[in-house]
Amino acid sequence: MLEKGKLSGMRRTIIIFFGIIAILSVIRIATGASDLTSVGTAHAALLLSVPIVLAALGGLFAERAGVVNIGLEGMMIMGAWAGGFMGSKHGPWVGLLAAIFFGAVGALVHAIATITFGVDHVVSGVAINIIAAGLVRYISTILAQGGSWPGPSQSPDVEPIGQNGLPILSGGKYFGWQSPDILNSIGEKNWFLISDISRVLRGLTGELSYVTMIAVALVPLSYFILWKTSFGLRLRSTGESPIAAESLGVNVYVMKYWGVLVSGGFAGLGGGFLAIVAANHYQENQIGGRGYIGLAAMLFGNWRPGGLLAGSALFGFADALQLRDSAAIHALLLLIIAFLLFASWRSFRKGQKVATIVAIALAGFFAWFFIAFDELPGQLVTMTPYLATLIVLSLASQRLRGPAAAGLPYRRGGLK
Amino acid sequence: MAIAVELRHISKRFPGVIANKDVSIKVESGSVHALIGENGAGKSTVMKILYGMQRPDSGEILVNGTTVHFKKPADSIEAGIGMVHQHFMLADNFTVLENIVLGYEPSRGGVIDFNAARVKINEMAAAYGLTVDPDALVEDLGVGQRQRVEILKVLYRGAKILIFDEPTAVLVPQEVDELFAALQGLRKDGLTVIFITHKLDEVLRVADDVTVIRAGSTVAEVKASEVSAKKLAELMVGSELPSPEIHGSAKRSDIALELSQLTVPAESGARNLVSDVSFTLHAGEVLGIAGVEGNGQSELIEAILGLRNYTGTVIFKGEPLDDESVSERRDMGIGFIPEDRQRQALLMSSPLWENRILGHQRGKPVMNGALIDRKATMADTIRIMQEFDVRAPGPDTLALALSGGNQQKFIVGREMSGSPSLLLASHPTRGVDVGAQAAIWNELRAAREKGMAIVLISADLEELIGLSDRLIVMLRGSVTAELDPAKTTPESLGSAMTGAA
Repeated sequence: MLEKGKLSGMRRTIIIFFGIIAILSVIRIATGASDLTSVGTAHAALLLSVPIVLAALGGLFAERAGVVNIGLEGMMIMGAWAGGFMGSKHGPWVGLLAAIFFGAVGALVHAIATITFGVDHVVSGVAINIIAAGLVRYISTILAQGGSWPGPSQSPDVEPIGQNGLPILSGGKYFGWQSPDILNSIGEKNWFLISDISRVLRGLTGELSYVTMIAVALVPLSYFILWKTSFGLRLRSTGESPIAAESLGVNVYVMKYWGVLVSGGFAGLGGGFLAIVAANHYQENQIGGRGYIGLAAMLFGNWRPGGLLAGSALFGFADALQLRDSAAIHALLLLIIAFLLFASWRSFRKGQKVATIVAIALAGFFAWFFIAFDELPGQLVTMTPYLATLIVLSLASQRLRGPAAAGLPYRRGGLK
Repeated sequence: MAIAVELRHISKRFPGVIANKDVSIKVESGSVHALIGENGAGKSTVMKILYGMQRPDSGEILVNGTTVHFKKPADSIEAGIGMVHQHFMLADNFTVLENIVLGYEPSRGGVIDFNAARVKINEMAAAYGLTVDPDALVEDLGVGQRQRVEILKVLYRGAKILIFDEPTAVLVPQEVDELFAALQGLRKDGLTVIFITHKLDEVLRVADDVTVIRAGSTVAEVKASEVSAKKLAELMVGSELPSPEIHGSAKRSDIALELSQLTVPAESGARNLVSDVSFTLHAGEVLGIAGVEGNGQSELIEAILGLRNYTGTVIFKGEPLDDESVSERRDMGIGFIPEDRQRQALLMSSPLWENRILGHQRGKPVMNGALIDRKATMADTIRIMQEFDVRAPGPDTLALALSGGNQQKFIVGREMSGSPSLLLASHPTRGVDVGAQAAIWNELRAAREKGMAIVLISADLEELIGLSDRLIVMLRGSVTAELDPAKTTPESLGSAMTGAA
């Protein structure tokens, strides 16, 4: 982390963003892996990040209200299924609303179990994950037997949702007017760094689904709601010190229910996004653990919207690379090595012996790997997003502070 | 004078316990009214009833002459009642501002107007001398400042009747003075203050009227100006007030503990938590460590026990401890009474006999080889309960069912089991009533006579002066003075603690 206090949060974020692109550009030149900073990679990274961001926001609302929501995965499954089911019948927007609703229904079960009945949060969450997967399979099978679905693991197709880009910069289309695409033109010039930056920005701002725009806007909106409104302050107080909140007349149960229901809504939307925007139908196993990854992104993001966005983006980027070009993953190893060396230097300065040794050992291992193999085995490529996210985030975020009362049972009048 | 609050014949039982049998209180508006009684007498319960956190089984509550039925704190807040809790009700990771406005936010369309709140808080703070930075995180504040936040929280809601639950328990004398000055300011402005305490000198200093509760019933209502501390003590416990005192010297020639240049570094590279502390403690000697909370006393004790990393050396009965683990140190004969009994010394939802095992899980009498000897543990728990007068139905009672005083007596008894040569006692009588306090003092005195060395930390300066053979003062991690308790008064010690002397 840079020195705190010297730079405002916004400026720091921008500097880190461009710094990372600069490093990627250097690696691109050194290894010839052009996909590191291509428009396509940036675009795919954004698309892959969105469901994780939504899951992470879901986790954020629940945990800030003091409820651990490991059932995000199950709520995403329900959302994806509902998106496919309703979306194929009534169009994509209805599908998305249904996804939110179904996610919230899953969350309601979790809320009743954990808040009203005091069931252990992890037990309830795991149960929801198992039940959700079984339930949608069961209903899908019935639908498939009735002939309205092509198979028990897949819904009929959903119409696509419209998309657009920024005017002038990214070739958006407004009222029949096709704007120029400046970023793309610069990107094609292949000027070092400038073109790299343009390509990444073009990937992030061009041909966006309206749902992607909404999802990205939900990050600052969540921050605003949680930190600037009465509702948010009360919600966070129930995760931080429910007894204090109760003593000030906050209805802790109600706030916790809101937190969990909003959480389920976000997770459901994340599932719906996967079914309707990322694909064009519901498919079994479509979620593939993204609920858990979202939860991890939230933890590593220190229970803050900005942090979870960074965590999700990192995963999305690594995932996009491995999908598009496995050679680029090989180049990405260099970035991981650089990061590990930086982390080891930092922990060395702080006198943390174990962390220093671990970071250097890992860096050595990856360096050996980079030299010994020209191409990574396929299984390892698939694993990269998970591995990269884990390494970077666990070393980058060492001082995490979650809500003090998350996961603890609460009873009214708890202080005798 | 008008009556601000009247409680008539309040009773309240919890499963197995009668908290209030028959409590009646009449509080005049614009006065400071003290509610006194031993721990477990039911003071806190009756105030929680008034504040709407508990509901009475029977009885009547009148606020400004009108009968009220509070179902939740929001109702009593609505009626102009505010409570400053003994255990601060603050979210540590929130700012002062957020803590104060929570539940009562000035907002436009749901968006909190933090600027308006900040202005209002600063105004109130200035008016009553309760200055505190609205944008500081609560976890960074000291105890006195946290209490100010609690008071501001209540005032911010426009409370006219303020309940203080043992507000001075955690304050040093100078902070107590500031608090009392603020209370006088509140009274001058026509606010009513109800003040729960068991410290009688404070009652006489600050209160207009006093209600005494014993065993859940009101036993007396008196004017503070017409009563003495002795009389109040008799009303409260039905006997004379004990005082901490040691007689003569029990000091032996053998050295129990020797510290040289013990330093505890801070986690984040800031100032050392403890720096360069050296002393020698003989068997049969009590060393009192005075200091405002947060000046390194707790960290020092934790370092001696091995709970914190440190540099320097600790020699116990001639053997260096620096490479020994906490369990080895305990096995060598070090007992530890931690400052926060519920967090550090007890498993609240476990029975007493299981709690007896904690810290002694490696030997007799609780273990028989690798297995827990339940029978022997039970027997030894009963021994502690008898010797240390722990009032509980039996060794199967859950720790949380005991009053604070009984929990503490049990911990003292457990830590003295197996006659350790050194006892590290951190606030051994904090928050316990007069009777339990006297019992704990007796035990500490007896152990000293038998040759136990004791390192004592206490915020109760009379206790510290009365029980110690020697006193050292810690300020910002360093020892700044060594005093002779015989020539020290609480006032002079208080000045030394804040660095004023």
